Amino acid sequence: MSWPTSIAKGITDMNNILKGLQKDLLHLPRTHPKRRATAIPAMQALQAELGYLDDAAIKKITQITGLSTAEVEELATFYSLIYRRPTGRHIVRICDSVCCSMRGADQLLTAAEEYIRTSLGTVTPDGALTVLPGICLGLCDKAPAALVDGEALGPLNDASLKALLQRLQKED
Amino acid sequence: MEALLTRHLEPAAPLNLAAYQATGGYRSLTAAFDLKPEKIIGIVEAANLRGRGGAGFPCGLKWRLRGADAPSPRYLICNLDESEPGTFKDRYLLYGGPHQIIESVIVSAFALQAERALIFVRGEYAKGGNALNQAIQEAETAGLLGTNIRGSGFNLQIEAHLSGGRYICGEETAQINAIEGRRPNPRPKIPRPSTHGLWGQPTTTNNVETLINVPHILLNGADWFRKLGVNGGCGSKLFCVSGKVKHSSLFELPCGTPARELIFEHAGGLDEDRTLLGFLPGGASTAFLLPEHLDVAMDFDPIAVAGSRLGTGSIIVLDNATCPVEVTLNLMRFFARESCGFCTPCRDGLPYLTQILTIISSGAGRADDLALLDELCATIASQSFCAFAPGAVMPLVSSLKCFHDHYEHHVITGHCPFNETNKKRA
Repeated sequence: MSWPTSIAKGITDMNNILKGLQKDLLHLPRTHPKRRATAIPAMQALQAELGYLDDAAIKKITQITGLSTAEVEELATFYSLIYRRPTGRHIVRICDSVCCSMRGADQLLTAAEEYIRTSLGTVTPDGALTVLPGICLGLCDKAPAALVDGEALGPLNDASLKALLQRLQKED
Repeated sequence: MEALLTRHLEPAAPLNLAAYQATGGYRSLTAAFDLKPEKIIGIVEAANLRGRGGAGFPCGLKWRLRGADAPSPRYLICNLDESEPGTFKDRYLLYGGPHQIIESVIVSAFALQAERALIFVRGEYAKGGNALNQAIQEAETAGLLGTNIRGSGFNLQIEAHLSGGRYICGEETAQINAIEGRRPNPRPKIPRPSTHGLWGQPTTTNNVETLINVPHILLNGADWFRKLGVNGGCGSKLFCVSGKVKHSSLFELPCGTPARELIFEHAGGLDEDRTLLGFLPGGASTAFLLPEHLDVAMDFDPIAVAGSRLGTGSIIVLDNATCPVEVTLNLMRFFARESCGFCTPCRDGLPYLTQILTIISSGAGRADDLALLDELCATIASQSFCAFAPGAVMPLVSSLKCFHDHYEHHVITGHCPFNETNKKRA
């Protein structure tokens, strides 16, 4: 995952990231119904490289899917794993659903917010971290749990969470 | 009972193709290809395999209703998009053994004569999705997928779709919209997805846990499968137990095992040996049950008779140090957040319920708020477009009944009896 934004990376780079997906679309006419099905994989591919989808990335997806900007925006903002705002180099999603909440997730979120000294969902000034609350991550047997860059961690407590955030801040 | 579905799960390092085959993996393909597709559907029907995604619809009947004469291409969707709080069985299956999933999809697609299969993977399980993609490639290279598989004349392509991440994508028709790149709100149920599903073609959707039973049924027969269950249940079932228990985990047990055995034997009993207050038997969108229901068989019909749903078979345990109002509020926050927003009763109604519950929970509620909650729940459930809102209000309606004294205490005294242990987040 990288940061800064895709504007710095440039459109040519986006073509490169989407090369595989675009190749599959070459034989399809522009109005083919299956073209729009590429929208989600394309968003995921761009986001994996750029960290989030900026307006240029949305525009790029309209070009390859044939959807309007509004339609792509509708999809991008619907999904909780597609980010339309800058994210840190590391994304920590702390589960706040029922099992984790019964085991202290609410307190974890408060502790995380205190540690990062910025609100949940924003980027720390050093660009290292974004902490988000998340719905049940399917880690109820590890409650309270978090997903750190896609890796499952739990059970966490205030101390282990702080140690984790500290370690992530030092990492690239 | 001997582990069946979880026998070869290795979450640390899932078996590759060769190792999986060495344990007897992919043997069911031979059994399946020797049979006519309609014969397989008959066997699955006789086995009384019911859908494990929550609804409990008979799998064989679902397959038969699609019809053998459905026009091509026919699609099979394997639903691996669990987001139901309390449920983590699909995670074990995906991370523990992707080849088991692929084998199950192949034989099920053969029964349905579906030439395209999609595995819809939860976005949070992206790493498992990567491993699944590798396993699919392995299977392709070994000729287990593609054209004329093992000389059977059957062709199948499997693709994994990684979700963008929303609870509603687990709903059958919302999932079809998600795959097509449309806004994933549920579609009208007429025409049915079985005739007009993915890209307007016949589409069958099954939960991943339902499908992984099929190879075993083919290898051992319908009678054998039915006898695996206890107390009237059929087959093996994956149960998750979480919440206030000592040993929260996934347990594979005979379908029909009572909750008492699950909670007190397998999950080691409650934290600090506290008293059981109640439990959700099948994930967040089911009704609360009380200690008096501990001996009800965890099977679709007995749990329905007790007033709840087996759902995903994921028990969430509440002890007597947990405020049920707080827990219900957490559940309602979840549903209000995850409503897709397509229909008004759900989009506006669930946040309204959450707001009232927040007020009650903070101690500022009034006595008539409880009646208002009941009335709202009835309106929302009956007026909304899909099964999401009826499921969402189920824990609230039952919570108001089961834990009425707790609600009254909040409303009358103006504070939570568990205030010390349950610190609220604003």
